Amino acid sequence: MMSRDIIDVKAETSALNTQKMWVIMGPQHPFSHGLWTLKAQLDGEIVVDAEPIIGYLHRGWEKECENRTYPKIIPMADRLCYAASMTYTHLYCMTVEKALGIDIPEKAKYIRIMADEICRIQSHLMWLAAVGTDLGNLTVFLWAMREREFFMDLNVRMCGARMTTNFPRIGGVRNDIDDEFAMFATRCVERFEKALWDIIAMVDDSSIFVSRMKGTGILTRERCANLGITGPAMRGTGVDFDVRRDDPYDNYDQMDFVVPVLKDGDSYSRYRVRIEEMFQSCKIIKQALQKVKAIGRNAPYRLKVPSKVPAGRAFMRMEDPRGESMMYLVSDGSEKPYRLKVRSPIFVNVSAAKPLVQGCRIADVPAVMAMIDMCLGETDR
Amino acid sequence: MAKKEYLDKYPRSTARSLWVMTPIVKVLRLLGKTIIHRPVTVLYPYEKMWMPENYRGRPGLRFDRCIACSMCVRMCPTACIKLVETEDASGQKVMRPQVNVGRCAMCGYCAEYCPVDAMTVTPEFELAEYTREDLIYGPKRLAYDGITEKMEIHLEETLMSDIENGNPERRVSPFKTDRPVLEASKCISCKKCEKVCPVNAVKMVEHGVNEKGRPILYPEFNNDTCVCCKNCVEDCPKDALHINEVL
Amino acid sequence: MAYSSILDWIQFRDMMANPFYPYDTYNLPFDISYKLWEILGGLIAWLVNLIIPGNGLSTWLISDEVSNAFALILFMVVIFLVAFVVTLLSLWMERKVLGRLMDRRGTMIGLKGFLQNVADGLKTFMKENVIPRRVDKMTYMWTVSLVIGTSVLIACMIPLSERWYVVSYGTGLLIIMAIFALAPFFILVSGWAQNNKYSLIGGMRAAELMISYEVPMLIMIATTCLMAGSFSIFDIVNMQGDTVWFFIPQIIGFITFIFCATAEAERVPFDIAEAEAELVEGWQTEYAGMKWGLIMLADYLRGYVSCAMVVIMYLGGWLIPFASDGINGLLPEVVFLTKVWIVFFAMVILRGALARVRTDQIVNIGWKVFMPLSVVNLAVVLLLKFGGVF
Repeated sequence: MMSRDIIDVKAETSALNTQKMWVIMGPQHPFSHGLWTLKAQLDGEIVVDAEPIIGYLHRGWEKECENRTYPKIIPMADRLCYAASMTYTHLYCMTVEKALGIDIPEKAKYIRIMADEICRIQSHLMWLAAVGTDLGNLTVFLWAMREREFFMDLNVRMCGARMTTNFPRIGGVRNDIDDEFAMFATRCVERFEKALWDIIAMVDDSSIFVSRMKGTGILTRERCANLGITGPAMRGTGVDFDVRRDDPYDNYDQMDFVVPVLKDGDSYSRYRVRIEEMFQSCKIIKQALQKVKAIGRNAPYRLKVPSKVPAGRAFMRMEDPRGESMMYLVSDGSEKPYRLKVRSPIFVNVSAAKPLVQGCRIADVPAVMAMIDMCLGETDR
Repeated sequence: MAKKEYLDKYPRSTARSLWVMTPIVKVLRLLGKTIIHRPVTVLYPYEKMWMPENYRGRPGLRFDRCIACSMCVRMCPTACIKLVETEDASGQKVMRPQVNVGRCAMCGYCAEYCPVDAMTVTPEFELAEYTREDLIYGPKRLAYDGITEKMEIHLEETLMSDIENGNPERRVSPFKTDRPVLEASKCISCKKCEKVCPVNAVKMVEHGVNEKGRPILYPEFNNDTCVCCKNCVEDCPKDALHINEVL
Repeated sequence: MAYSSILDWIQFRDMMANPFYPYDTYNLPFDISYKLWEILGGLIAWLVNLIIPGNGLSTWLISDEVSNAFALILFMVVIFLVAFVVTLLSLWMERKVLGRLMDRRGTMIGLKGFLQNVADGLKTFMKENVIPRRVDKMTYMWTVSLVIGTSVLIACMIPLSERWYVVSYGTGLLIIMAIFALAPFFILVSGWAQNNKYSLIGGMRAAELMISYEVPMLIMIATTCLMAGSFSIFDIVNMQGDTVWFFIPQIIGFITFIFCATAEAERVPFDIAEAEAELVEGWQTEYAGMKWGLIMLADYLRGYVSCAMVVIMYLGGWLIPFASDGINGLLPEVVFLTKVWIVFFAMVILRGALARVRTDQIVNIGWKVFMPLSVVNLAVVLLLKFGGVF
């Protein structure tokens, strides 16, 4: 049971001449986290064909942005993804700063990095919780959510809101962090680094969890490149690329962290990449807090920026918890953007649904798709 | 150089016997812990989580401080704030903001961009009502007892010129620096800016007469009282005014 | 007889002296129900006699045959109520323990959360009885009735002690096992009848699950019966009282049987027939309202029976180790139920700690792990038997 061969699963098809049937999973199905549908064609229990359908949550986000002044888009960017709201806001602010051609204060950069990593941990914990329920264990779900709550509390202390933080601003961040927050953040991160081992022991030391994840949802490196998959799903297949390290934005080049890369390309390697990323995020948070402390209490954290962006284009990309998200801004020199395009990682990653679940059993579909970490808010926009 | 914490230890060897025992032991340990201590669950209606003072709940209003500059109306991303006519303590008719909390996104922009810190955030988050009409908070209802210093959000920005000049610790508010500027050739002396100014910082000053013999009035701005609310800029029918942004 | 005062009508007769007494030995629930009917029937007879003195109905009501018949009806109610309350208590225990080990509180409504079960029952009872339009209505109804019916039947058939039983078969264990194994067939048919793809897959999985655990389970039951030399539950338990509890010689079988019993009760990690992550609720998808509530009750009744079988076969039934007969005879029912709850607690811990296995994995586990283990267990018992230890 444990040493299930990879090829064995793929080659397993029914010898009987059975009728294939389509099963519509979603948009209101326990496995689809958010509103999306996976049409799966089943031959007995084995999935032979699949088709993801998205678009149930389309809100006209990009069009809506064209009617708003630049600061007003920040709260909207929060709502692109509920699990990691800070990253999209950060990305939007970076894009506008690039269009404005300004360099923000060092302190703001470090605070943003710290906030980003807090959000990355939050998002990964949300994903870990989803993995627990998708594989049929509620304990992992609740333990991960309990850990997430501490980071929510950090968000409250930092900026007064738990989920939709509205924290980065064009030209800096909303408010300064104080020593009290730094103390709480350090304590929270250190506590989390210990507590995460409990959840890891629940998953990694359990043969059922491991055998469910190992060898399912294989994605090769070439296929990954062809489909444009990014993020932990890509690093699980052996592609050594992380925007934080290879194309550093803000001050990520001064941070000391490891980009975990695994070569297996199955669900389990994707899982392990994400777990390791959480530990690395903890390190980055601690480093960023030290840097903020070193910069000093009275250093500037927010620049005054003009309300009008000069005509032109700007493009930024960043490492979202789920992959590589990009924003492309076209400005016509007014107070409102002419066009704001968002490239969401999940929108691209979900295209891997078909090669991922083909040949799996239907019981593996939630487990495999959980490793993609679906977030429909940013996918449909 | 940072090291990998998790990947160095896992995956454990598959040959380990009793591979389901560790989770069972972990679960039993937590069970024992929660029998002695209490679980982390907060019994919400009976006990509440600690909220910091700067928690962004519904907006609060300090009625006396408000000058009805409609800055919050302009900045609200969900357009849930509206200026309505109400009576102050002396029975005088004044304009004050009214918030439709049902649409409010709790972003805190109204408090952040309030030039006189009349709008604040409040830690009040239990806002459920029976009807949608009840969700509309009028100016009187927006008041919140016990507004503290931390509930005000000050817009403290650093000027780029200050950093270049080696004075990075100075924080200014854009309401103190930015001022409207008149492009005199476009002005038609309609006095609209004088009417809409909430702090009466605009004064129409005569600059001679035109060819028809009527007086030419140009607005003059009192820089001390102006709060940079941009009302005059927005209401100018000929776009003769713009804000001079000090960067 | 005079039949003048009420005490003449309510006369606590000895039920063993009743010529129609259905059992050979003393039966406690029948005693309770017989006494209940003595009071109830006596009261009715007295009231009727007050209104119409000297009628035949009153004397008929307290005659031996009629007393016995009504006592049997009350007997059913008493037996079912005990099984029901035991099930509710184990449901409550599951909710609280599962809550605590997940760092939450579990149910909170009344009596430390026990009344939540009552609230749930009331809620499902109040719900509209929805039957989807295109289901095969006959099959849809009778399959679920049979699933619930067989579950209730076996839950009532479990003896709690030597004096608390329904029928004392010589082949008690085998009959319980046979009825226990019936439900997956009905689940399979029910999956077909519901005209729903999830239900269909769920029903197929129930069959898949059954073929994987049923054979090793039967082998282990046979092993235990071989050890005790009898299929009778009383003999098995008394044998354990005479020698040692069977989990000591059959430790392999004991652990394997716990997992098999978990699969039999369709609980995590083997609840693939109602895997809520991929199949919405498996074969229960189209059942709503009270039907679903009864299915849930049946699930927990089956859990109770699984645990009871573990207790009977391996943990010495209602006996306390190293205790004299006098102590053993005090409250054997309570001892038995305590053991059942301890085993159920282990099942809850399993549910909290483990994830759901895949369908091909359960077949693999069943045939490649449980099956050899049960055969090894059988071999061990055979060796012991030939060696003359037992």
